[in-house]
Amino acid sequence: MIRHPYRAKRRTLLTGATAAAALGATAACGDDGPAGTAEDPINISFEWWGDEARAEITQEAVDLFQKKHEGIKVRTNFSDFPTYWESMTTRMAGKDLPDVLNMDYSRLLQFGSNGMLMPLDGLVDTSDFLEGFLDTGYVNDELVAVPIAGNTLGLLYRSDWYGQAEVDLEAGYSWEDYHRAIQDVTASLGDEQWGGGDFAGQYHFMELWLRQQGGSFYTEDGTALNFDKARLIEWWSMNEPLHAEGAVPPISVSSQWAPENGFVLDKIGADLGWDNFLAWYAPAVAENGGTLTLAAPPSLDPGNLGLYLKPSMQLCIAANSEFPEASAKLIDFLLTDPEAIAILGTNRGIPATNVGRENVEIDEVSQQVLDYEAEVEQYLTSPPPPPPSATGSIEVKFAEIYEQVLYGELATADAVDTFFTEAETLLAAEQ
Amino acid sequence: MIPWIIGTAVLTVGPMAWSLYLSFTDYHLIRGGEWIGLQNYTAIFDDPMFYRTVRVTLLYVLIAVPVKLVASLLVAILLSQHRRGMGFYRAAFYMPSLIAMSVGVALIWKALFSNGGVQDGIMSSFGWEGGGFLGNPSVSILMLVLLAVWSFGAPMVIFLAGLMQVPQELYEAADVDGAGRWSKFVRITLPMLSPVIFFNVLMETVGAFQLFGPAYIIGGESGAPAWSTLFYTVRIYTLAFTDFRMGYASAYAWLLVLAVGLVTVIMFRAAKRLVFYAGEDR
Repeated sequence: MIRHPYRAKRRTLLTGATAAAALGATAACGDDGPAGTAEDPINISFEWWGDEARAEITQEAVDLFQKKHEGIKVRTNFSDFPTYWESMTTRMAGKDLPDVLNMDYSRLLQFGSNGMLMPLDGLVDTSDFLEGFLDTGYVNDELVAVPIAGNTLGLLYRSDWYGQAEVDLEAGYSWEDYHRAIQDVTASLGDEQWGGGDFAGQYHFMELWLRQQGGSFYTEDGTALNFDKARLIEWWSMNEPLHAEGAVPPISVSSQWAPENGFVLDKIGADLGWDNFLAWYAPAVAENGGTLTLAAPPSLDPGNLGLYLKPSMQLCIAANSEFPEASAKLIDFLLTDPEAIAILGTNRGIPATNVGRENVEIDEVSQQVLDYEAEVEQYLTSPPPPPPSATGSIEVKFAEIYEQVLYGELATADAVDTFFTEAETLLAAEQ
Repeated sequence: MIPWIIGTAVLTVGPMAWSLYLSFTDYHLIRGGEWIGLQNYTAIFDDPMFYRTVRVTLLYVLIAVPVKLVASLLVAILLSQHRRGMGFYRAAFYMPSLIAMSVGVALIWKALFSNGGVQDGIMSSFGWEGGGFLGNPSVSILMLVLLAVWSFGAPMVIFLAGLMQVPQELYEAADVDGAGRWSKFVRITLPMLSPVIFFNVLMETVGAFQLFGPAYIIGGESGAPAWSTLFYTVRIYTLAFTDFRMGYASAYAWLLVLAVGLVTVIMFRAAKRLVFYAGEDR
């Protein structure tokens, strides 16, 4: 059994807090909870997912917050995306969530509909958000999450490699065009480098592909998958030829890149992804002597790219929080304090508030993301309803089972059967 | 007695009874559930993941337990000699078992067996092309077997104690009869040691069925690569704490209890024929 470091720490802190409270009680004669002063501060916790670089700037902003609010102490913790959610779901069961937590749209309903999140209306300052950004924060007509930034899908690619191989990704190109591009670029590269990665294991990309056909991943009420087995067979067979000729990295290689990434490691030339990931990968690619650029994703229909504006990350307050006001102060500070915004920059995406947009320093990379979002704005359609509670698990299963196909452990049709069984069971268990 | 009874009731018997009850419900960790009779149990036998995880777990038990026991017996024999500094060696060989189940060692293990890691480097120079065990589903379970073998301390100490108990006059009598090393080992050491061997086999088998920590850290919830380290216990954990299907996970857990119980009964039956207790009529 893994002991989460945070838990152990929390215990000791709680013991310490109890002792401190006992001491305080003898001094103050009857004290219910910390006073929220520098001598007797309120302790709240804040956790997010991300890498070291993100942790550094976030900690810097939190330190500034603590300086400005002397009565509030913030304990912070972070981990990578999968570990973060493993920890959060486990702690959700124990109603032991951090006061302020990072939320992802795909998990919002799982936490929100189970009463794990505190309603934010009247608690958090919501007056300054850009239009449309708050829409994705509602569960059962209650605002439970506020966005840090918005993002949308795109194709991230190495324009230096693609230029060298004389491959063009003209807007409106098809999935076949993209396949050919990967093959051509891979052919022009050396060993252990590939023109693109295998994208079929991420349900977000299949959702994009389904939206391009006017479909969706889940039915409107979120109780079932909205596609049949044949569709999934088609999707999961799509990259077979690329694997056959070695145009994409084999799974035994790419599975060992985590927690790094094919772009950062100078291994792959293109991949579908969220546009704000550019800020994460582009500096590393530049260090490797390359240039990373954004293009619209491939599409079945040049008039329908399937894109929508999604909150890239949201902030929530746990329902089990003892100090919602202090937690709300931290959220307000991170989203609307000009100094905090300057520190946090565009690491999590271009800010979702007006004051954020005015105060953030738009560097070259962020400008590229802004330009890209302006370019595809005409294609943005309304977002799907928050995905069902089981989405987190389904997302993991989707990747896991596609991996079986890549390893040759399951035939595609069997893998699709397995996925449907698993997904249907998970969806049923949540109803 | 009272503290012990309270501890056992609150921390062991109570939760076990509760989980037995849950296994007959569709209990959702957040939303609760209702009595559904045997549905969980029947559903398990229709669950393809059940058979996969059973296969992985059995494979591990069948490889890890014998290899670990043979290794620990051999080392115990080496360490049963009377030489200078033997105390140090015994401590040194016991040491890994103290830390083997820790998170840190599992992480080091991961690094050792990744592509371009130590194992890949050594084996590649002998013409191996399978890369690191970490990314190769056909051999990845060996990582966990090796971790188990490396931590042979507990059975080794028990073997060592058993070896010390073998009466020296038996070996002396055998020497007089002109018996060689091998026949002394097979005819004296092994029979005299058989109760200890039985104990170790039992403990290690029961333990191996429940392996969780290292498997979870090395393979994660998905039993990477390609479900090849998806142990039964990891599946229980995922069902309970990621999917929140506590009722179903409890049924999974109780099947494990039944299976381990069954294996233990079979072993005791077999032990009646195979184990020799000194002073017994044969």
